Amino acid sequence: MAVALPKAAEPRIDRLDRIWEERPGVMGWLTTVDHKRIGIMFLFTALAFFVAGGVEALLIRTQLLQPNGTVLGPNGFNEAMTMHGVTMIFLFVVPISIGAFGNYLVPLMIGARDMAFPRLNALSYWIFLAAGIFFYVGVFTGNAPTAGWFDYVPLAETTYSPGPGVDFYALGLIFTGVSSTATAINLIVTMFKLRAPGMSINRMPLFCFAFLAVSFALVFALPALTCALMFLEFDRLLGFHFYDVAAGGDTILWQNLFWIFGHPEVYIIILPAFGIATSIIPTFVRRKMVAFPLVALAEILVAFIGFGVWAHHMFAVGLSQVTNVYFAAASLIIVIPSGIQLFAWITTIMTGTPRFKTPLLWIIGFITLFIIGGLSGITVAAIPFDQQVTDTYYVVAHFHYVIFGAAVFPILGGLYYWFPKVTGRMYYERWGQASFWLSFIGMNLTFFPMHIVGLLGMPRRQWTYPGDLGWTGYNVIESVGAYLLAAGLLMVFVNLAVSCFRGEHVGNDPFGGDTLEWATTSPPPPYNYAVIPKVTSSYPMWDREDRREDLVNLAQGRKVLEQGHETPASTTVDAEWDEILEMPSSSPWPPVLAIAISGIFAMVLLKQWIAAAVFVVAVLVVLAAWHGKEPQEA
Amino acid sequence: MEATATGSAARVARQRRAMPSGWWGMVLLIATEFTLFASLIASYFYLRFQNTPWPPAGIDDPSVTLPLVFTGMLVATCIPMFAAVRSVRAGQRWLAWAFVALALVVQATYLGLQIWLFVGDMNSFSPSATAYGSIYFALLGTHHAHVAVGLALDAWLLGALAFGLTNYRMIALRVIALYWYFVAFVAILVVLTQIYPTL
Repeated sequence: MAVALPKAAEPRIDRLDRIWEERPGVMGWLTTVDHKRIGIMFLFTALAFFVAGGVEALLIRTQLLQPNGTVLGPNGFNEAMTMHGVTMIFLFVVPISIGAFGNYLVPLMIGARDMAFPRLNALSYWIFLAAGIFFYVGVFTGNAPTAGWFDYVPLAETTYSPGPGVDFYALGLIFTGVSSTATAINLIVTMFKLRAPGMSINRMPLFCFAFLAVSFALVFALPALTCALMFLEFDRLLGFHFYDVAAGGDTILWQNLFWIFGHPEVYIIILPAFGIATSIIPTFVRRKMVAFPLVALAEILVAFIGFGVWAHHMFAVGLSQVTNVYFAAASLIIVIPSGIQLFAWITTIMTGTPRFKTPLLWIIGFITLFIIGGLSGITVAAIPFDQQVTDTYYVVAHFHYVIFGAAVFPILGGLYYWFPKVTGRMYYERWGQASFWLSFIGMNLTFFPMHIVGLLGMPRRQWTYPGDLGWTGYNVIESVGAYLLAAGLLMVFVNLAVSCFRGEHVGNDPFGGDTLEWATTSPPPPYNYAVIPKVTSSYPMWDREDRREDLVNLAQGRKVLEQGHETPASTTVDAEWDEILEMPSSSPWPPVLAIAISGIFAMVLLKQWIAAAVFVVAVLVVLAAWHGKEPQEA
Repeated sequence: MEATATGSAARVARQRRAMPSGWWGMVLLIATEFTLFASLIASYFYLRFQNTPWPPAGIDDPSVTLPLVFTGMLVATCIPMFAAVRSVRAGQRWLAWAFVALALVVQATYLGLQIWLFVGDMNSFSPSATAYGSIYFALLGTHHAHVAVGLALDAWLLGALAFGLTNYRMIALRVIALYWYFVAFVAILVVLTQIYPTL
């Protein structure tokens, strides 16, 4: 939208600028509650962990480049393998999707001025940062966990994993769980309460539906993990016997609890990618999504069915045949909502007029990889086949197609797509396309041969392999692919980093996007919208009349809310104007509280119970101070 | 729109058509905490079905009377919490304060008595000897921790209400009451699980 601001609007915008102004410099970032700044902090922190996880992956591939490799050794391999999984899942994909994309974009897309709980939002970020540091303190003090990201008992019990490695893992995961739960609750309430008046629930963008589904999945999935980890730490620190068969405990209890969390987690990883895909596709094919309501329902169904399939991770454990068959059937049902979305994306692209710009290329790459990963998923849902390939590289191939190819490709496409919104500048298109092709080829070279080498019997999670089994050639291809992939990813980041400073200045809406975030300036002001936007459909940016009316409203001072730090709240389903909320402004307490909570975790790790209790008291004191300043609602 | 006086806070609440954000936040927190208790109770029965006899030889069946009586006490505090919400919506700040204070006294007594029982159990069987002991103490301990959090919330609320009634504190009272309804409901599930071997 060309921003020809009416003259009468200028004093109003000045007033909003003053009301919403944040502190300058480092203190501004430390005390910020602005969802966009928090989103950017999430982004950079998660990308730093992506680099760490990537280095671990390259170490693994270098070790496996040739038979009898000596780069890592058995313990180093186990550390790299465990930290690669933990880092990529808990410190990269989840925080970058809900923390960075969700935080930055959901309030913009629904026409709100901030999240429902801005200070809690800041706390989520600081806890995530603290938890990430907590993990890597373990790594750099030589106490990395070695029992895998799945951390099966009894391997993870003190008998077989002495030393604090697994404690760093278990406490660190409970710690990140606090952050993810807070973000999830915040996103749900934001979407329920703060949609711009007129955006009834059926007009909410599909991106938001995906994030709503993810958030609900987090709320209900994480407690099972927390429970499993509590039991593990009780066993390890206090000598309890949850997982000790000799004392009446049970090792499969861990696997059940872990995968009750773990399978929904897979959809928590991939659903944001679905949301990003459904944002990018309509913009670049110039048409509305096919089967909008079905896709919205499918996104929610994926999250819901994800809770009923966990034992397909345990087909080789020896559960009863009836149980296995039930879970195999349930797993196949996932095909239905996934198929609805796949066909909707493909049909939208085929019936539109596609412009094959960088973001759309990543999405087409995603669709391709998701189809391959989905098809291999159907094969492993077949119990006898799964029992053959379990613990082989076939499974590694399957889940990397899904949670790397299908989940991370749209995230990278999304980085390109929203880059002009966040920075006001355009990335380099040619280099963007080249980075896609390099990553796509690298991805397939790395992971496709794993299907074959898996079928040939190469076991996963092993630090090396002998040279006379015919696996060497495939492993060489995989390792070369991994380096190509790393080069492709590096190209993405160099492109974006250079574009930050040198990219061409573009307007607010360079792609002709369909959702509201393109209506505001690039980058958006702290209050997002000078006037609360009018919404009458699911594609508000394509409703030119409404956007013109916004300008008239701004000139006449309607729906500007220039009296304070304010945003409107709407009714939950129909989004009728309900009340005006006074939102909290910057606060020093979220980072302080995160430090106090870190103290609890650190002291529990060190078994300093009295010191841990002191930190609990500190948390209470900080919370009391936090609530010393009351907005009208928070 | 800032509501600071007692009357205006009540007016804002009456005009609002949807539930406030704080209410939604608490509902979702309860959803996630309830799932945690569901996982704990499911684990209890999972372990129970791996073990016969339950409790293992050498451990007495759990006593029934005292835990049930104490739970009844805790559940009863839902009444003053509910009354406090009603009073505050009518703008009667000090009446609400008194109801919360009454609830706090009973809830704190409950926690004290439960800790006394907990320590007594610890002296008769250990959490680090059998899986039964492990899940028994983990389940009860998690529940008691939730009661302790509720006490801290009550204490903060009493302090805040003493300085006046704002819209923010009014929502706080509503959601803290909601938290206690949840804790009371979980208390029933936990006590039934606890005494199940004797039933």
